[in-house]
Amino acid sequence: MTVLAAHASPLGLLLVLAVIVPLLGLAPLLLLKARPAERSALVFLAAGLAIVCALCFEVARSGAPLAYFLGGFKPPLGVGLRADGFSAFMLGVTAVVMVAAGLFAMTAPGADKPRMPLAFWMLLLGVWSALNLVYVADDLFALYVALELLTFAAVPLVCLDGRAQTIAAALQYLLFALFGSVLYLLGAALLYGTYGTLDILLLAQRAHGEPALLAALALMTAGMVAKAALFPFYLWLPAAHAGAPAAASAILSAVVVKAPIFLVVRFWYDIASPAQTAAVAPILAALGAGAVVLCGVFALRQARLKLLIAYSTAAQIGYLFLMFPLAAASAGAGVWGAIAWTGGALHLVSHALSKAAMFMAAGVIAETLGHDRIAQLSGIGRIVPISVFAFGLGGLSLMGLPPSGGFVAKVMLLTSAVQQGSWWIAVVILLGGLLAAGYVLRVLLPALQRPDGNLVPVPVARWREMVALALALGAVALGFVPLQPAAFLAIGRPASWDGAVP
Amino acid sequence: MNLAAALLIAAPVVPFLLALACAFKSVRRVAPLLLAPAAVPGLLAALLVPRDVFVLVAPAPFRISFFLDVPGAILLGGAALLWIAAGTYAATYLAKDPRRGGFCVWWLLTLAGSFGVFIVADVASFYLAFALVSLAAFGLSAHDDTAEARRAGIVYLALTLFGEALLIAAFVMLASGSPQANPLIRDAVAQWPVSPWRDAILLLLVVGFALKMGLVPLHVWMPLAHAVAPVPASAVLSGIVVKAGVIGLLRFLPLGVALPHWGLALSIAGIFTAYYGIALGLTQKHPKRVLAYSTVSQMGVVATVIGGALVQGDSAAAAIAAFYAANHILLKGALFLAVGIAAATAPGAVMPVLGLAGLLGLSLAGLPFTGGALAKLAIKGPMGEGAAGFLLALSAAGTTLLMAKFVVLLRDSAKGRAAFPLPSQRLMAPWIVLSVLALALPFTLYPLVTGERIASAFALVNVEKTAVPVLLGLALAFALHQRGPALPEVPAGDVLVLAERLGPLLARGLAGVGRLDDVLRRWGVAGALLAGLVVALAVAVRSAP
Amino acid sequence: MTALVSTPTLFGLTGAALVAIGLYGLIVHGDALRRILAFNILGGGIFLLFGVIARRGAGAGFGGDPVPQAMVITGIVVAFSATALAVALVRRLQALPPEPEDEAAPAAASTEHEEAA
Repeated sequence: MTVLAAHASPLGLLLVLAVIVPLLGLAPLLLLKARPAERSALVFLAAGLAIVCALCFEVARSGAPLAYFLGGFKPPLGVGLRADGFSAFMLGVTAVVMVAAGLFAMTAPGADKPRMPLAFWMLLLGVWSALNLVYVADDLFALYVALELLTFAAVPLVCLDGRAQTIAAALQYLLFALFGSVLYLLGAALLYGTYGTLDILLLAQRAHGEPALLAALALMTAGMVAKAALFPFYLWLPAAHAGAPAAASAILSAVVVKAPIFLVVRFWYDIASPAQTAAVAPILAALGAGAVVLCGVFALRQARLKLLIAYSTAAQIGYLFLMFPLAAASAGAGVWGAIAWTGGALHLVSHALSKAAMFMAAGVIAETLGHDRIAQLSGIGRIVPISVFAFGLGGLSLMGLPPSGGFVAKVMLLTSAVQQGSWWIAVVILLGGLLAAGYVLRVLLPALQRPDGNLVPVPVARWREMVALALALGAVALGFVPLQPAAFLAIGRPASWDGAVP
Repeated sequence: MNLAAALLIAAPVVPFLLALACAFKSVRRVAPLLLAPAAVPGLLAALLVPRDVFVLVAPAPFRISFFLDVPGAILLGGAALLWIAAGTYAATYLAKDPRRGGFCVWWLLTLAGSFGVFIVADVASFYLAFALVSLAAFGLSAHDDTAEARRAGIVYLALTLFGEALLIAAFVMLASGSPQANPLIRDAVAQWPVSPWRDAILLLLVVGFALKMGLVPLHVWMPLAHAVAPVPASAVLSGIVVKAGVIGLLRFLPLGVALPHWGLALSIAGIFTAYYGIALGLTQKHPKRVLAYSTVSQMGVVATVIGGALVQGDSAAAAIAAFYAANHILLKGALFLAVGIAAATAPGAVMPVLGLAGLLGLSLAGLPFTGGALAKLAIKGPMGEGAAGFLLALSAAGTTLLMAKFVVLLRDSAKGRAAFPLPSQRLMAPWIVLSVLALALPFTLYPLVTGERIASAFALVNVEKTAVPVLLGLALAFALHQRGPALPEVPAGDVLVLAERLGPLLARGLAGVGRLDDVLRRWGVAGALLAGLVVALAVAVRSAP
Repeated sequence: MTALVSTPTLFGLTGAALVAIGLYGLIVHGDALRRILAFNILGGGIFLLFGVIARRGAGAGFGGDPVPQAMVITGIVVAFSATALAVALVRRLQALPPEPEDEAAPAAASTEHEEAA
């Protein structure tokens, strides 16, 4: 057995805090009345953001991953927490979206009733804690618990309004997520049975292509793909993401579906050998291509704004899987130095910001009109111009037009596809942009036209529109990221516990 | 930072910042008055910045940079003049429009993008500026929000986005040979001869930019979009926005390399377009559509010139193509403004308006002693005396015919009241000034571009060369006017109408794909597929060495 | 006396059979309650596999490995919570009257009301 040269990093406690602080935030919610509880939740959101900022800063400053061993026990006995550049990046993206969702859901000062039920704030903090655990845990069983926690917190968000339609959507979401979970757990059981550890980095050292490893990877990947709603396993996503309140939809679409994808990346780039990754990458990319093209077409046909955005999420997830063969094939430069890798990550964050903005804008539109039927959106741009503008800016990123993070990500992925001669991927990327343009403009064009009839708008709080706009502007600002591999994402990669030595 | 750099940066940035400032209501209220001043930095840049100045705005890895060469400066100057004139005109034209605030935002954004494409030096900034001018122009053409404008807007956006997709593919392929993340355009083009995808890049570039220029059959959006916009917007759309395609070809095609096949193909497409635009334009019943088809035809001429330059590997022809295009900017802008002037003129007072409009039209055809004649003479250089040169020269007769048709339609469109026989001076002044500039300015540029003395343009042989097609066209127009057959009006967008027949087919196809959605969302199907994925992944990963 | 198959193998095969039955049930059955049951059977099979692994003591080289047992206990708690949540949703769904299709989708409007700005 390898002797680990690992130490916990001096600031490794930040990893624990990132997971624990949102959970601690639950305690006051149980004791306080609705309004003070909401304020307390916002305070904890701010604290969580500060912790994640400190963590990201520390990783960037030291250029090395943070590590922490729970109870001082090192793997294989203990559970290790670790944040490399990629993890810190995911933590940061999640923190931004979470805080924005909190601000969006906040009750207006002076309103007599709270906007969102207390359960929303509990679930919000629960989702965040679970997400952070997914990003920092290195133990497959701890990850299982984190994923289940994530599912249990995310499912009720879908049916907060308690209507039959949304409860049915939540149930389907839950059951399919559980399907994914058992596949994952089965894979984890096989790994433990064969290697006697569930620590990802130890597995990477011990595994050498045994049949159990291959079966486990297949099972766990399928499980994660089901939870990520990759085509053709998106059956639960449209109803669930469209049924939730806007702030919850924003979280679900922007960050919750990305957590399983993060793990798929870890399986194939941390545990599996490059040859194994290269062997499965075409399958994942084919599913991704199916998502980009077919879910894009499905989105074109939706009659409801929120359903359209939800289908768009199902389509955009596909881009992240197109990254696999592109990053896997560029072994010469190293996977983590590959432009496709940065492009994928950039797509992830641009999509998170723009999609959250679009769901929030759609929420404002639905609120002010009392419905979200696309056929009756004419002239909405005159009533809630800021929201329509935010929707448009978010759409710009989805279409991959400059200046936007979506554009830079598209160029990076295209560059990689062209350099490797993966023409079909290049065509899919371009086609996906055109389909996105189709469904975004289906909303945007009527919104900019003159109203068909008399619109009787319900007033909405300006700052909530501003939250959506801020997120969309963030997606636009990402368009000024330089067109080259990002060094931050490569910190601590390829992953190993040795890398944790400060 | 020196003055040249400041002016170059200010040219696109000032209108962009003004557009942003329109977020404030107080700015929006006075926005129409800002339209003309917003273009002044561009004009100053074209006049004052020395040629071949390079400005690096943001260092590597961004490498946002500006560069002003002769073709860029000619187009920038011409465009700035039209923007100023049309902006002055628009301030009055839109005075009673309740939605002028939004119009001004689109105007300023289009302005910023159009200046950008003429002066940026790096690939990423070019794409950004190109996308900005293309997409913001949609807001101008869709401003009136009629059913016709909505259809035009959808067609325009669909084709524009398609073009953007082709161009980004071309740019990525072109830039991937370069060590920098965001290379300068000339460095990227210099890599082209060693690129493994030379033909693919050229094809994507030519089709992408031809869409913007409106080469047949990619012209379908132009008669629609240019005819539905408010008059000053039509002027800049038809005058300036289409030139983004011209500068794109000039910047990105490897003009110094002789490419006979590509050059020939582009020339043939250009000549076909030149005649096609004339033929279709003659059937139109609305003066703006006639002008739009004339733009199609003129862009065909420019494409032919660029094709000729490609055949010979003659990079000097870029300035001549730009000169011809700038001449078209001013003339076409003034002609479009004339449509608005004539419509507000009483039938009894319309003759002077028709006279000036007719002169502009004949200048477009190359009437001797007008600016247009110099443009026609200039392109004779790269075209030579071959078949292409002959066909281009002959197309001037068609242009004459088309402009005669335009003047006739213009006469019929005069419906001002007798009490106010002429439109207000604030509309007339920018039009007249622009017209005079359009007729005169080419005289100052001609020696610069061709290297010949201005007197050579007045030589008898050259006067003859340009006069013959114009006289031929006038004779034809007279004959047709006396006893010509009544032409049936071809619907604007011509072949588009055929393409739209495919619409229901496409809808059925989409519905068929949509049914797949219902199948895939069944639990049993997704569950079985998930089990299948486990097997597929396991089999695939087993095959790994 | 030697058994035809060793105890761990027997348990392992049983676990595999349960996994197969659960998987079949999960894919084939449309009814939510049956799917929940299938999920539990499938989970039970996996826990059995963990038990076998613990018996073999693969990880630590002992006669029995305590770590998988800890995992099984955690897993059972998680599966129980999942079942409880799913059953609660099923019950709530059955208690509600079905709603007309058209009024269904604009979910955002109904939870986000009031608040005069």
